[in-house]
Amino acid sequence: MIIPFSSNDWNAVIPAFIPAVAGLLVLIADLIAGAQLKRYVAIGLGVAGAAVTGVFVLQQYNHPYNSFFGGFISGGFTTVFEEIVVLALLGSLVLYGAIGSSGRIAGSVALMLWSATGALIMAGAANLMTIFLGLELLSLALYCLCGLADRATARESALKYLILSSTASAFLLFGMALLFGAGGSVQLADFVNPALVASPLFWMGSCMFSIGIAFKLSLVPFHAWSPDVYEGAPLPVTAFMSVATKAGVLAVFARFIYAALPGGIEAKLLLPIWIAAAISMIVGNVGMLAQRDLKRLLAYSGIAQVGYILTALAGTTALGLRYAIYYLAAYTFMNLGAFAVAAVLSADARARTVLPGNGVSLENDEFGSSLTAYSGLGRRRPVLAAMMTIFLLGLAGLPPTAGFLGKILILASSTNAGYAWLAVFLILGTAISLYAYAKIIREMYIAGGDAPLTRQHARANGAMTHQQEQHSLVPLAWISLILCGVAVVAMTFYPLTPSNVLPLVK
Amino acid sequence: MLLTLILLPALVAVLLFFMPKNTSGSIGKAVGAIVAAITFVLAIAARNDEIRIHWLSRPFDAAFHFAATPISFWIVIVLTLATFGAILATDERDRRSLIALLLLLESSMLVVFLARDLLVFALGWDLMLLPVFFCLIRWGEHAHTAWRYFIYNFAGGLTLLFATAAFGVIHGSTDIIGSSAHIVGSWAPWIFAGFAFAFLVKTPVWPLHTWMPPTYSGSPPPMVAVVSSVQSKAGLYGFIAIGAAFLPDYMKQYAGVFVVLGAISLVYGAVIALTQNDVKRIVAYSSLSHLGLILIAIFSFNALALQGAIVYIVAHGLFSAALFLLLGYIEQREGTRSLSQLGGLGYANPRLAGALCIAALAALGLPGLGGFVGEIVILTGVYQSGLIWAAVLALIPIVIAAAYMLRLFQGIMNGPEVKGLPQHHDLTWIEGLAVAPLLAALVLIGVQPKMLLNFDTRSFATTVSQLSVTPAPRLRPPSASSGRRGGMRREVVFK
Repeated sequence: MIIPFSSNDWNAVIPAFIPAVAGLLVLIADLIAGAQLKRYVAIGLGVAGAAVTGVFVLQQYNHPYNSFFGGFISGGFTTVFEEIVVLALLGSLVLYGAIGSSGRIAGSVALMLWSATGALIMAGAANLMTIFLGLELLSLALYCLCGLADRATARESALKYLILSSTASAFLLFGMALLFGAGGSVQLADFVNPALVASPLFWMGSCMFSIGIAFKLSLVPFHAWSPDVYEGAPLPVTAFMSVATKAGVLAVFARFIYAALPGGIEAKLLLPIWIAAAISMIVGNVGMLAQRDLKRLLAYSGIAQVGYILTALAGTTALGLRYAIYYLAAYTFMNLGAFAVAAVLSADARARTVLPGNGVSLENDEFGSSLTAYSGLGRRRPVLAAMMTIFLLGLAGLPPTAGFLGKILILASSTNAGYAWLAVFLILGTAISLYAYAKIIREMYIAGGDAPLTRQHARANGAMTHQQEQHSLVPLAWISLILCGVAVVAMTFYPLTPSNVLPLVK
Repeated sequence: MLLTLILLPALVAVLLFFMPKNTSGSIGKAVGAIVAAITFVLAIAARNDEIRIHWLSRPFDAAFHFAATPISFWIVIVLTLATFGAILATDERDRRSLIALLLLLESSMLVVFLARDLLVFALGWDLMLLPVFFCLIRWGEHAHTAWRYFIYNFAGGLTLLFATAAFGVIHGSTDIIGSSAHIVGSWAPWIFAGFAFAFLVKTPVWPLHTWMPPTYSGSPPPMVAVVSSVQSKAGLYGFIAIGAAFLPDYMKQYAGVFVVLGAISLVYGAVIALTQNDVKRIVAYSSLSHLGLILIAIFSFNALALQGAIVYIVAHGLFSAALFLLLGYIEQREGTRSLSQLGGLGYANPRLAGALCIAALAALGLPGLGGFVGEIVILTGVYQSGLIWAAVLALIPIVIAAAYMLRLFQGIMNGPEVKGLPQHHDLTWIEGLAVAPLLAALVLIGVQPKMLLNFDTRSFATTVSQLSVTPAPRLRPPSASSGRRGGMRREVVFK
């Protein structure tokens, strides 16, 4: 049987293949490299692979192509989401330069690359099968990544993620089956058929599909998994998960609501999603208030931030899509930056707690995710504290950051699209969130505060010692966080929103 | 030149943060004071400058458009003077950081008052909360002060943001301050509500004032001098430059509510000020009272009252900055702010007493000083507009003002000398230099009010004519030369 795929078809999905191949190379290189070099080789190959992907993706921006009979659409919209995934990949990979054990680094980097492959496929997926393929690739790699740490919470995190995410996938898959039954096609473009409005199968299928999406986006009431999973997973994995998963799922959701619904039923069909987004903005921000762990706090923050992005999408206007992308990009930089700060702090704590016999406590890998680590940071590490302040201000939506402009753009577009009530929820949510973000800022700059001694802490957990490791790759995390900070501020003054995002399907 | 004016303090502030930790605070002080002096010169030089840098074209046009309006020019002058004084008066631990924050605050407030674009105004509005918040968490007396300040004002900032976004969507552009564009339709009341809430919180006006007394009494004197003298005027400036220009119908419709709120603030502030023991709280509540009077003036829709409001905004900015700086000196010398523990300082410190005397007299409205001009013009205008009850009511707090200001001055400077108070030298020349420009300006306004009353109101004329329920005094007929952009503007001159 001759498969009638042209070389153009393969060119369109090359960006998704590069990280996959880079992952394999990392594993092979790890077998060859000496113990001292493992970290450099894995991170070097991973970062190079991600960078090459970024270049290839960028070339496709102005050349939309409909490959594999509408299974994967490259260019335009896809490019933008792919670039966000690549940024998330880069920003998370470099965190392995600061923390994590060398013994596992190759596996972690490879899994993260494969996971990114899944997200890249989701960004361009235009039929139900490709969507599911991308989603499962993304999730399977993440289940393993979540468990890769010597902590009980990591295993809890992995198991919880596996079970709940599989449940969500089941919903999604069932929804897809019903959609297929209703439309007789797996192409998203084929659902733009007015005859489907009368089909109960289509309505049920769309609802199941939306529930699956809401689960993956951790919208209320399907949000309970995300704080636990984020808390247990290793820091770089949490950073990746918080951005790349959201980017991938949002790409699918945007394509679904913009291009795969029969005209005129968006308002009715998607109302539950908008209500869930509104509640998420409140619940996420209220949930943040009591947290003492940065990763949990950012998990709740993520629940609310997805609500903001969905507010932009409500009304399914072209402008709204652009602002959703703008805000997602801003959120990517702010979140990656905040995680980079946490990673640098953890690396710091490691350097300070060399144990007798030159061991290092891996327990301190998570030092930066405890909020107590930030007491007095303004005096000890002024630049680090200033960067963290910028990221937190951005998440709270204060100037001079992209979070401020993103919020006003979302307010404007949702008001314009007739979803002013969502804008009101956005305002309320933001007002609540201020306390949580500013609490960390206050902790950093308050007079007299200081971080707890980590040395004793490390001795108490002496069993967790490891081989001595030099972490000369911490500068990578520094570069990442500086670039994120510059991007967050610069995006305020040069608000580039992609103009070439529609149409989404052919 | 405008861009230099706005960016210079911020850049210097960042450089100050990067200075080595062991650099002496005096260098920071000298640098900060020089920068503040330069901004004063630049503000005057850039009076007619205009700068416009494109920012957004969707969903509405927005630009970094800066130019001083006739009102904001005077507020900016007060801002630079207050910042200059505040930096010279800084004597806290970690001086360098506080000076840097003061410069950042100056930059952000320059953005607010020079912005011709509503979105830039909103940006500056949120931006100016940050230096004060950082100051409160670092130097504030209680943790809750910082929260109260930040959460109240951030809530105001958010409603402002919402109103700005809705405004932009409806009008298609936010680059409009200084022009006029009526906003009507089903959204207009909500836009007005959003702006009004933000402005009332910032001013503050009863019952949204509860963040103000702890903030004013609990933060370091240099910061509170700038906040009380200029930041609190942002709300009033917003009512004039945004509320009156774009939403005059709603301003008129709900004028009664605002006049009553202003009247309550006016009386409530004065009465509470009379009962306070903390000297900074006395001035804080007197601010509430004075700003209530300005609010009444703005909402009486009378050109004369509005002119008075502008003079009083400037005068209040000057005397409240001077009062807080001087009370800061006293607190730092004697270690207490309690009126009952102070007394008799005037005999040993004649210069300090003299300076405080001028500031307090200006606050209570002594003729010959800035405060009086504002009060008398406002009262005349309010009376003229037909709000006779408000004009009469406003007389009572003015009498009370004399009582609490004299109580403040006498409690500190006169009376029996309190034994056991540490003896200190009188005002040093640097401390004197900090307040001298403020006091000189007060005297200048007092003897030469025409400078402020007679200013060119071209871009402001539409506002006044929209607001004038009663005919404005001596309106000149429209002349061809009076409009910069069109013939619709009229010149209002008060002689």
